Amino acid sequence: MSEVKARTQGKLIPLLQQAQDKWGYLPQEALRQIARLLHLPESHVFGVATFYAQFKLTPVGRRRVIVCRGTACHARGGARVLATVKKELGLQEWETAADLSYTLETAACIGACALAPCLVINGQVHGRLTPQKAAELFEERRSRED
Amino acid sequence: MKTEQRLHLCQGTGCLSAGADRLYKALAHELSKLDLPVELKRTGCHGFCQRGPIVICEPQGFFYCAIQPQDAGEIAEALSQGRAVERLCYRDPQTGRPIPTYHEIPFYKGQSRIVLRNCGHIDPEDIEDYLAVEGYQAARRALLEMTPEQICAEVERSGLRGRGGAGFPTGRKWQLCRQAPGSEKYLICNADGGTPGAFMARSILEADPHAVIEGMLIAAYAIGAQQAFIYVRAEDSLAVKRLRIAMAQARERGFLGKNIFNSGFDFDIEIFEGAGAFVCGEETALIASIEGRRGMPSPRPPYPVQSGLWGRPTNVNNVKTYASVPHIIRNGADWYSQIGTKQSKGTAIFSLTGKVNNCGLVEVPMGTTLAEIIYEIGGGIPGGKALKAVQTGGPTGGCLPASLLNTPVDFDSLTALGAIMGSGGMVVMDEDTCMVDIARYSLDFTQKESCGKCAPCRLGTKQMLNILEAITQGRGRMEDLDRLERLAKSVQAGSLCGLGQTAPNPVLTTLRYFREEYEEHIKYKHCRAAVCKGLVKAPCSHTCPAEIDVPRYVRLIAAGRFADAHAVISEKIPFPSVCGLVCFHPCEARCRRALVDDAIAIRALKRAAAERDNGRWKLYVKRRPPTGKRVAVVGSGPAGLTAAYYLARKGHAVTVFEAFEKPGGMMRYGIPEYRLPHEILDAEISEIEAAGVEIHTKTKIESLDQLFAQGFDAIFLALGAHRGVKLGIPGEDEVGVLDCIDFLRRVKLGYHVELGERVAVIGGGNAAIDAARTALRLGAKATVPAADADQEVLDASRMARRLGAKEVRIIYRRSSTEMPASPEEVHEALTEGVQIEFLTAPIKMTKENGSIRLDCVRMRLGPVDASGRRHPEPIPGSAFSIYVDRVISAIGEAPEIPEGFGLRQTKWSTLVVDPDTLMTERPGVFAGGDVVTGPASVIEAIAAGRRAASSIDKYLGGDGDISEVLIDPEEDAPFELEEGERPRVPIQTLRIGERLGGFRQVELGYTAEEAISEARRCLMCDLEER
Repeated sequence: MSEVKARTQGKLIPLLQQAQDKWGYLPQEALRQIARLLHLPESHVFGVATFYAQFKLTPVGRRRVIVCRGTACHARGGARVLATVKKELGLQEWETAADLSYTLETAACIGACALAPCLVINGQVHGRLTPQKAAELFEERRSRED
Repeated sequence: MKTEQRLHLCQGTGCLSAGADRLYKALAHELSKLDLPVELKRTGCHGFCQRGPIVICEPQGFFYCAIQPQDAGEIAEALSQGRAVERLCYRDPQTGRPIPTYHEIPFYKGQSRIVLRNCGHIDPEDIEDYLAVEGYQAARRALLEMTPEQICAEVERSGLRGRGGAGFPTGRKWQLCRQAPGSEKYLICNADGGTPGAFMARSILEADPHAVIEGMLIAAYAIGAQQAFIYVRAEDSLAVKRLRIAMAQARERGFLGKNIFNSGFDFDIEIFEGAGAFVCGEETALIASIEGRRGMPSPRPPYPVQSGLWGRPTNVNNVKTYASVPHIIRNGADWYSQIGTKQSKGTAIFSLTGKVNNCGLVEVPMGTTLAEIIYEIGGGIPGGKALKAVQTGGPTGGCLPASLLNTPVDFDSLTALGAIMGSGGMVVMDEDTCMVDIARYSLDFTQKESCGKCAPCRLGTKQMLNILEAITQGRGRMEDLDRLERLAKSVQAGSLCGLGQTAPNPVLTTLRYFREEYEEHIKYKHCRAAVCKGLVKAPCSHTCPAEIDVPRYVRLIAAGRFADAHAVISEKIPFPSVCGLVCFHPCEARCRRALVDDAIAIRALKRAAAERDNGRWKLYVKRRPPTGKRVAVVGSGPAGLTAAYYLARKGHAVTVFEAFEKPGGMMRYGIPEYRLPHEILDAEISEIEAAGVEIHTKTKIESLDQLFAQGFDAIFLALGAHRGVKLGIPGEDEVGVLDCIDFLRRVKLGYHVELGERVAVIGGGNAAIDAARTALRLGAKATVPAADADQEVLDASRMARRLGAKEVRIIYRRSSTEMPASPEEVHEALTEGVQIEFLTAPIKMTKENGSIRLDCVRMRLGPVDASGRRHPEPIPGSAFSIYVDRVISAIGEAPEIPEGFGLRQTKWSTLVVDPDTLMTERPGVFAGGDVVTGPASVIEAIAAGRRAASSIDKYLGGDGDISEVLIDPEEDAPFELEEGERPRVPIQTLRIGERLGGFRQVELGYTAEEAISEARRCLMCDLEER
C-alpha cells in the first residue's frame, strides 16, 4: 500500500464518527460514499464499522439508554438494574423501540464506578441505582413525554 | 501576606452526575450576593467520587461532600467568617464525628498523591493554574538542559515501569524507540479507559490534562518524535473537551508547535477518538485502529518501538505513565526510586470500587498492601459484611481471597498470585458476591471483546463461558472443572495479545481460591451468595439452612393466614416457635428489600405465625408404619431432636439420650430465658415426643459399643459443643474465671452464681452478649455456694435472684464491625447498660484486695490473618487495669467427646464425618450439629438434623425422603407491591425498667396488623420471571 493511501485510510474512523454524528447512525449510502472518498473497498469500511461498538448501522432512538455492565456495577447488583430497564422499556439489549423513542444499549464500563450501579440516558449519568430507582427513572421520563 | 480564599468545586463525571453543575451556579450566585473576594474554581476529579458533589475550601482545606445547591448559602456565609460548616463535613463512619479538613480524612490521609497531586486542586481548563504549580518547568528543563539520552537514562534510573499493565521499564522503551532507525517517529498516549472498573485515565485527563501533555512533550523530545496521538474513547466526552482546551492553550503558549522553548524542537499532538473496543488497549491493536483498520493485534516482534504506526518506530505509553514523567524530571530519579518496592518504583493508582465504603481514585506507593488500601483508605466493607475477594486488573485480572490481603500491590507480587496490576481496577467483593458468577461475568465480557484473530481466544473463551453458564444454572458436572482449567491454559498459551493471555485469570484464580463455591453449585445446586438465578428461587429461602419456603409463608401472613404460614414453616423444622424467637436469620442478610430500605423482619414474622397457630397442620403429618429399626440419638439439642423427630416420622424407633436433667441442649441451657421462655421450648419438645420419640435425660453415654449391644441399628451423635475454651493468660486459674456456657447453664438451672457488682465478659459472640445481659439481671450479693448445691438449694436460690450486677463490661479484641454477635443483640445489650470495650484484650489477672485486677491492653487492627479478618495487635504502651469482681470467659466452645467413642477428631476436637452422608468413619454412626461444625446456630443444627435423618433413613433401607406437605400447595396469591420506601415495622420491646428485675421476655413481637403490614413489604422475589 502506498504511503499516501495508508495515511488516507487513517481518516476512516474519524469520518465514520462524523457521519454517525450527522445521521445518528451509519446508513448504507454513507458507508458507500466514505469508501469511495477514501478509495477503500466497501468491505473494508463495513468491516471497520461493524468492529467497533460505537458504530450503529440501524437508526437509534431519541433517548439512548446505556446500562453499565462494568465489574463494579455487576458486583453491586447491576444485572437486576438491567433487567428492570429491559422490562420498563420492553426492549432487549441493543434494540430500538419501533417508534424510535428509546434505544437500549449496554456498555462494558462507563467509568462511573464509584456510583455503581449506574446507567446513562442521553449522556447524563444516573448513579447508585436500585431496581426500583431505575424503574422510577423511566416513569418520570414517560410522564414528562406525555 | 493576605491569604487568598478559594472554593474548589469538583466537576468530574461523578460529581457532575450528582448535580455539581447546578451547585456551581448556586455557589456563584451566593458568593456574588455576599460580594466576597473569593475565587470559585471548577476543578477536575478529586477522587472521592462516591461522596460527590465535593467542595473544597482553600487554603484551610475544609472539605464538604454530598453538597446540594440549597447548601450554597450556608457555605458562602461560613466562608465570610472563615469557619467550616460542620453539618456538611465528612463524618467518620465509626464515631460520626465531623472531620473538617480533607488532610485528616482517612480516604486521603492514607494516600500519597504524586500523579493525582493536582487533581481537584487546579482548574483543568486554565493553563495558569497548571503553571502556578511549576507546570511545564520539567519540560523546559528537559528540552533546554538535558540531552535525549540523559532523559532516557534518568527515566530508566527512576525505575518507572509502564502503567498500562505489562510493566515494561519506560526508560528502556524510550531508548529502544530512540535508537530505532528512521527519522520519522511517533508517540502515542493510550487513554482508552475501556477497562471495566477502571476510570483513572479519564479522571486524570479531566482533572490535569496539562500533566499528560507535558509528559508526552518530554517523551517526544527523548525519542525524537514530532507527532503524537492521544487515543481516547469518544464516550469520554468531558476528557476530550478538556484535552482540546488544554492543547489549544499549550499551543498558544508555545509548549506545542514549532521551536518549543526556542530549543528548535517541533512537536504536536492530535486526538484520536477511539470507537470502543476493549482490545484496543493492546498497543498493536490500538495502532491498527488509528490506521483505520479493525483493532486487531499483530504478532510481536516487530515491536512498535521498531515498527509501529505506518511502519515507523512508535512509543506507546499510558496516561499514568506520561503523567508521572514531569515529576521524575523535576524531582530527579533518586527521589522517585525511593518510593515503592525494589522492583516496582513509584506509586500505583487504583480505582477502588465495589463493596467498599469509600470508592474513588487512590494513589499509594507501590508495595502498599491490599488490606491497607481496602480497610484504611477504603474504610472497609459497608453494612458490616465480610470481604470475600478483591479483583485487581479489571475483568482479565484475578480474584484474590481475603486471606491474601496482606499482598503488597506491585507488578510482580500480584502476577505471582495469578492476578495482575493491569490498568489499575480494584473491585472489592463481599459475601453477597458469587465467585462463580464473577468468573462467568468476566468471561462473558472477554468473550464478547475477543477480536477473533486467534482461534484459542475466540473459541476457547466461548467454550469456557458455556461451561460457566451451565454451572451457574445448575447443569454443571464435576469434570467441568478440569475442562475449564485445560481450556484456560490453552487460551493463555495460544493467544497473541494481552486480552487472550489474561482472559482466563478470573477463572483460574476463582478455581484456585474459591473451588468450594464451584463444587457447591455443581453438587448441591447451592449458591452461597444467593446470586445465580438458575439456582436461586428467592435469596431468603435459598440461604436458609433448612430451606424454609420464606416467600410463601410471608405471603400467607400478608393475607392474614397465620396458621397456614406456620404450617409452611413446620414443613421444614420442628422448632418453628424457637426459631421465631432466636434464629440468627441468615435469610435477612440476603433479603433484596434491603436494597430499598430494610430487610424484611423474617424472624419476627415467623414468631407472629407461631403465636397464631391453630394446630390444623398436624392432621397432614405423614405417619408411616414401624420399620422395626432402632436409632439412638446422643444429645437433645436442636440437631439431635430434629433428627429424632424426622426419623420417628419415617417409622423408626428413636431413643434420645441426654446427659442433663432436661432436653433441649443449648436452646435450654445456652439461651437465656429473656430470649427464649422455657414453656415455648417445652411445648415444641412435647410435639416431638408425641411423634414417638423417647427421651432419656440424665443419661450420659460413654460407649458406642454398649448402644449397639442394646440393639440400636444406627447412632446419631449430636453432642454439641459445651466445653469452654480457656483464655490462656496468666492468673486465669487463680482468680476463678467463669466459663460462659457453664455460667448460663447454672443460671438456667436456678443455681445462684456469685458475681459481685462488677463483671467483665471476655469475647464478642452472641454467647458473650447473653452472658453480659444475664449478669445484669442477676443478683449480685446472694450467698448460696454454686458448685455442689443440691435440688433444694437450687430451688432456694431461684428465689434469690435479685437486681443485677451494677457494672457489666464486655471486652472484645476487635472492633464493632468484626463482632460476630448479631447487631440486634448488641443493640439490646447496650440499651440495657452493658458497656463494650472494643479493641481491648486482657493480658493478665490477679487477685487484689478482694477483687480482680484485670490488666488489659488496647489493640489496633493490623494485617489480615488466615481467616481473612484483620488481626488485632497490641498497641505498645497502652496497658491499663480495670477492677472487677468476676470475669466470665466467652471466647468459644469446643465439643467434648468421650474417649470410649474411639472416633477420629479434628484439631478443634470436632468429629470427622463424610460431608455428604454425615457418617463417621464407623459404619452406622452419624454425627451432626456443633459437634461437627464447632459452635454454630440453632437453624444450622436443625438443618444438620434434617440431613442426618435423611441419611440415616437411607442407611436403614428407607428412601431418605423426609419432605412434608402440611397445607395444600395453594395457588400463589401475590399482592399488589407498594410503591416507594417503607422501612421495617419496628418490633416492640419491654421497657428497660421492666427488663432488669428478672428474666421476662424482652421482645414483645408483632400484633396481627403489624405482621401483615410488615409482610406486605416483601418483594416476592420467588415470583419474579426468570
